[in-house]
Amino acid sequence: MCLVEIEGMWKPQIACAMPVAKNMKIRTNSEVAYKAQESVLEFLLTDHPLDCPICDQGGECDLQDLSMKFGSDRTRFTDIHFEGKRAVENKNLGPLIRTEMTRCIHCTRCIRFASQVCGLDVLGTAGRGGEMLVGTYVDKMFLSELSGNIIDLCPVGALTNKPYMFKARPWEINRANSIDVTDATGTNISVNYRFNRVLRVLPRENEEVNQEWLSDKGRWSIDSLDIQRLVTPMYKCNDCLVATEWDIVLKMVSKQLKCTKPFDIMAIAGPYCNAETLVATKDLLNVLGSEHTYIERNVDYSEAVVDIRASYSLNICMKNIALSDKILLVGTNPRFEAPVLNARIRQAYMFNECDVYVIGPKCEYNYHVEYVGQSVKDLSNAKKYLQNAKSPLIFVGIDQLQTPNAVTLMRELIRISNSLKKSSDWKVLNILPKEASFAGALEAGWKPGGLKAIQSLKPRVILSLGADDVFRQWSPPKDCTVIYIGFQGDSGAACASIILPGSAYTEAGGTFLNMECRSQYAQPAVSPPGKARYDWKIIRAIAEYCQICLFYTDPDSICRRLAQISPNFVSCGTCQKRLFEDLIPQLLANDSSDCVGQPFDVCMKKLKEYYCSDIYTSNSPTMVKAQKAVMKMEKSPYCHV
Amino acid sequence: MAVRFAGALKELRIHLCQTNQQSAGVRDFIQKYYVGLKKENPKFPILIRECSGVQPRVWARYDRGSEKSASLTNLSSNDVLSTIKQLVK
Repeated sequence: MCLVEIEGMWKPQIACAMPVAKNMKIRTNSEVAYKAQESVLEFLLTDHPLDCPICDQGGECDLQDLSMKFGSDRTRFTDIHFEGKRAVENKNLGPLIRTEMTRCIHCTRCIRFASQVCGLDVLGTAGRGGEMLVGTYVDKMFLSELSGNIIDLCPVGALTNKPYMFKARPWEINRANSIDVTDATGTNISVNYRFNRVLRVLPRENEEVNQEWLSDKGRWSIDSLDIQRLVTPMYKCNDCLVATEWDIVLKMVSKQLKCTKPFDIMAIAGPYCNAETLVATKDLLNVLGSEHTYIERNVDYSEAVVDIRASYSLNICMKNIALSDKILLVGTNPRFEAPVLNARIRQAYMFNECDVYVIGPKCEYNYHVEYVGQSVKDLSNAKKYLQNAKSPLIFVGIDQLQTPNAVTLMRELIRISNSLKKSSDWKVLNILPKEASFAGALEAGWKPGGLKAIQSLKPRVILSLGADDVFRQWSPPKDCTVIYIGFQGDSGAACASIILPGSAYTEAGGTFLNMECRSQYAQPAVSPPGKARYDWKIIRAIAEYCQICLFYTDPDSICRRLAQISPNFVSCGTCQKRLFEDLIPQLLANDSSDCVGQPFDVCMKKLKEYYCSDIYTSNSPTMVKAQKAVMKMEKSPYCHV
Repeated sequence: MAVRFAGALKELRIHLCQTNQQSAGVRDFIQKYYVGLKKENPKFPILIRECSGVQPRVWARYDRGSEKSASLTNLSSNDVLSTIKQLVK
């Protein structure tokens, strides 16, 4: 299709395969070029079915656009009376991607994406010329954490979205620019919705964060929001939850808060809170007189953890990861913890000859890694591998900072990173958080270590902002009231006395800080179901019922409050330069560990553990199907081919 | 320079720019005094929130959520310390 006319050459030339030379005169819109392009298009169309009306790509199809632009208006295809149109058998690429290989125009984008970005040589071509076929050589599914992107890449309808099959046309859809919350990368997404229902999620290009990719969890776990929702306020009466009205529960909550001593009130933030909710909740508790605002994660290797940003975040800009030449992964598998970040590591591996070393258990990585140890003890051993690197990077999984070894681990890693030669603005040591709310909560001044705090403070009232994990390991005693504000409700809601239905990220939007502490704003797409409300407005209403004045009532005024808490919240899209990381080692906590030999553990080692890793994703039927497909494929004889 | 953050004061937030000349004193202050202050007042949150292009400012939060702030524009590190001492009282 890219034929152009070049002066001095009597045939049209293929632009994408033509080296540029000096004084070359190229005509892209001459008669000859147009004619050539039109002929190629005619060839493409003879081999392409005329099924646009039933094709999911209709309306966003590159081939359709081209045919509209300079396609011939009548056919010269007469073979229909003899051999018929080309037809190709469909492939089974798993429960997420639908194939219609007859529509394939052999651009090989999916093959190149699979082998370059996913590191998965599943797709390939067989045959040549008119006989060429794109497909899997053996009966194998395309299962990768980034598999959904081949749907966006495919210029025609050969690869389409299976869960979105026949649901809508692109011109009927409304779009809202949003941020993915299934991991901490802050992937930019566009939420496509119609009639107040989210239909699909597409990635939005952001060269600094996700390039143009989106993880499968972010793309397909949205159907979890259609089922398993809290839609009405409830309170517990005789061990039974009773649905009721907002006014009644708000009165109950305010009474509860006012009758409790301030230091017996505590708030715990879950993984999906936006900054507005976090700031409003902290303000409410502070005005009540309580300082107990905690997140579920525990990170306390240093006194400075909440104070200095460099101690809890990814300190390097995500796009610079691709420039690294030696990477050490400590107890983490970024492939499943942060798929779009892993794409950068793979980019470094592919195009910068980066060596990747791992301290931790055997995991499914999609690049070659060298396992250099299992535990903190092996760190000194790992140092020599990074020694000669020009731009080394160390990634630490957030899970490792919860273990008793955290202080020893970080002390050793800081020593290693200080001993390496690098330019001053290249930050070697990076922490990989997993929750979308993590950086935002710490930025707002929430403290890490919710579980520990609950056990030592023994609060009487707990305000849970969608926090569930804590309540799996700890169940509240009789005299403790749990107030749950969230959209799904699992173990946290099960033991709650009062449940206030909140909204999900597609409904409330809000400001999210990703793992680099880059602040990004998600627009709300649909309205919350039933009687559910925006989380921060619920908090605002509780304050009103408690006769507490919080000085914000609308998005504008809460935005001003965010700026008072930290100006970074409102400086959207920029990755802030880190300062003062050299102060962290001076404030390290005391080593208390006596089990440095204990091997690191990683939650998501294999692909089958990726899809349903938390409550939100395990509630999604699509993700459950994908997980089952992976398990089925593991039994297939072609699994390791 | 012992400064005890006690009583009504609950939290300090320091906003500064990473590169701006106006924030130079604040950066200096943190390099010089932060570790000492933190060691004297363990568990007391001194939130350092750098953001490019902002006016340096310190926010102090007291009991029951009341807040005061003071500008730190063009102050030297010792002036920053005395401003903070003022807020502690």
